[in-house]
Amino acid sequence: MSDSAQPIVSLRDVTRTYAQGKTEVLALRGVSLEIFPGELTVLSGPSGSGKTTALNLIGALDRPTSGSVRVDGHELATLSRGELSELRRDRIGFVFQAYNLVPILTAYENAEVVMALQGIDAKARRARVMGLLAQVGLEGLEDRRPDEMSGGQQQRVAIARALAAKPAIVLADEPTANVDSETAEALLNLMEQLNRELKVTFLFSTHDPRVMARARRLIRMVDGRIVEDKVQG
Amino acid sequence: MLTTMAWRNLWRNTRRTLITASSIAFGLMMAILFTALSDGQWGRAIDDAARVGPGHITIQHHEFQETPSLQRTVDASEALLAKVRAKPGVLAVEPRIAGQAMLATAHDSFSAAFVALDPARETKDTFTPLSQLVAGALFEADDDQGVVLGEKLAENLNVKLGQKVVFTLTDSKGEIVSGLARVRGLVRTGAPSADASLCLLPLAAVRKLIGYTPTQTTQVAILVEDQRRSQAMADTLSAGLPEGTVALNWTEVNPDLSSMVNIKVIGGQVLEAFVIMLIAAGIFNTIFMSVMERMREFGILMAIGFSPGRLFRLVVLESFWLAVVGLVVGAAITAPLHAYLHAHGIDVSAQMGSAGGMELGGVAFNPIIPVGIYPDHAVVIVLLIAGVTLLAGLFPAWRASRVQPVEAIKLT
Repeated sequence: MSDSAQPIVSLRDVTRTYAQGKTEVLALRGVSLEIFPGELTVLSGPSGSGKTTALNLIGALDRPTSGSVRVDGHELATLSRGELSELRRDRIGFVFQAYNLVPILTAYENAEVVMALQGIDAKARRARVMGLLAQVGLEGLEDRRPDEMSGGQQQRVAIARALAAKPAIVLADEPTANVDSETAEALLNLMEQLNRELKVTFLFSTHDPRVMARARRLIRMVDGRIVEDKVQG
Repeated sequence: MLTTMAWRNLWRNTRRTLITASSIAFGLMMAILFTALSDGQWGRAIDDAARVGPGHITIQHHEFQETPSLQRTVDASEALLAKVRAKPGVLAVEPRIAGQAMLATAHDSFSAAFVALDPARETKDTFTPLSQLVAGALFEADDDQGVVLGEKLAENLNVKLGQKVVFTLTDSKGEIVSGLARVRGLVRTGAPSADASLCLLPLAAVRKLIGYTPTQTTQVAILVEDQRRSQAMADTLSAGLPEGTVALNWTEVNPDLSSMVNIKVIGGQVLEAFVIMLIAAGIFNTIFMSVMERMREFGILMAIGFSPGRLFRLVVLESFWLAVVGLVVGAAITAPLHAYLHAHGIDVSAQMGSAGGMELGGVAFNPIIPVGIYPDHAVVIVLLIAGVTLLAGLFPAWRASRVQPVEAIKLT
């Protein structure tokens, strides 16, 4: 954490309620937090603690019931649907628990797709995507489609996709939940390395102790509130 | 990228895509063949009626249509004929005198519809009955006393080739005049009404008999390449004619045929509209199901930066590709079928049985129904089906663009 740097993410007194039938569920209760460039932060907590809701709000996928969410200097409440799409495209990378690659695209195309949306020319896209795929250990697998790859390989493609557009922050929701422990270790090593070498800012949500152990900053949530926010050695 | 994604998405469910593409192809085939049948059948009926009657366009006295009379004439000068003949799309310009006459022999007398024509100018391409002579021949240009009769009329008059017939008509002053003619030929058109009334006379002789000038006629029959352009041509011609002379389209000269063609064409179009609506429902169903099955994926795409507009375009492009596949398959099936039917027509003689002598617009019905679509009609059909396919994809595309990423990603 740095006092001088501007936060990439800033949540101020954020609440989020959902209607579940006739019941109102309070998923977040006045959450405030800041994420700074280069951090590797983990949001942890049991199921229903609000960590995925917080990730969705930071990822501009959802809007808060009250409070303020700022990402990369933008107050999300003031952005239109189109502007939110642009923010997600240009400034936020996602790594999902279930990989969520586009099944009709190859590994290369999946990693390339966001850059194509940005209008980057094919030559520049190729150079960056091939470099990223090599970095995540998928050299030679560029032409494989998701159903031709293992879970770990798919998650590596998802990481390459998340990094391709050079986002301000990568949000990873339970990134190791669907892979075996050996693959999980490898993925964590990879993300840790990317954070260290490329200064990529990561924010994980997880209740996997292996992921929590890798965090430099650990934020624990319970019942929609932050109960602990600590920097780890 | 979007175009490639749309194309690949189309083949995620190959069977469903093929079934829908087949329905588009089938719809194209039905629409093209229905229209080809209508274009061929009614196009020929109009052309036939024009070649038996007063052409696609008729220049005549402005009151002739309401009250036909040999006193209502036009001056078919060489200058006028040359001017009309020079118009693009004009095949033939023929001055004629047409009216009613009374024919008598020693045995009997019958009324007849006579057409006085110039044998040096007219051919079977300008006047179809000239190709339907079953005995004798058309009178020569210098034959002042020749007459060609409908076969049934000759039978009624009990007159044979070479025998005499007296014809009586009114002259240009309204006086009754008679002429003597010898039967040079007999015509069998196949249309009972024509065969019992048709009487062809030499134009020059009739002019002399009824006191016309050498260029005076009751009509100038104009034949054109494309009858669909005849109305516009008639309007243009009318504007340049002397006062009291009009150029009428075949629809005005032959309103019965015009009404029948309109009714049949509209009936065919309604049928085609139903076929296209059924296809549209099938296409909508396919695309909508395909979209609803992929709501989660659309949520993911939205999360990684697809805008609502891009998702909309993606689904519209899928509709576009579906239309392309359906139309290409449809064209591949329809083209050879159309070519075969165009070459051979559809023979309904077996269905007609003993009902020979049917008439259509005053012309004998040909049991070989021609099939041939006008190219612009084919283009309209292709564009219509492509448009309907794209339209059917609009609502599913809108649904895809309204996806809420948080809700969609939760879907399994």
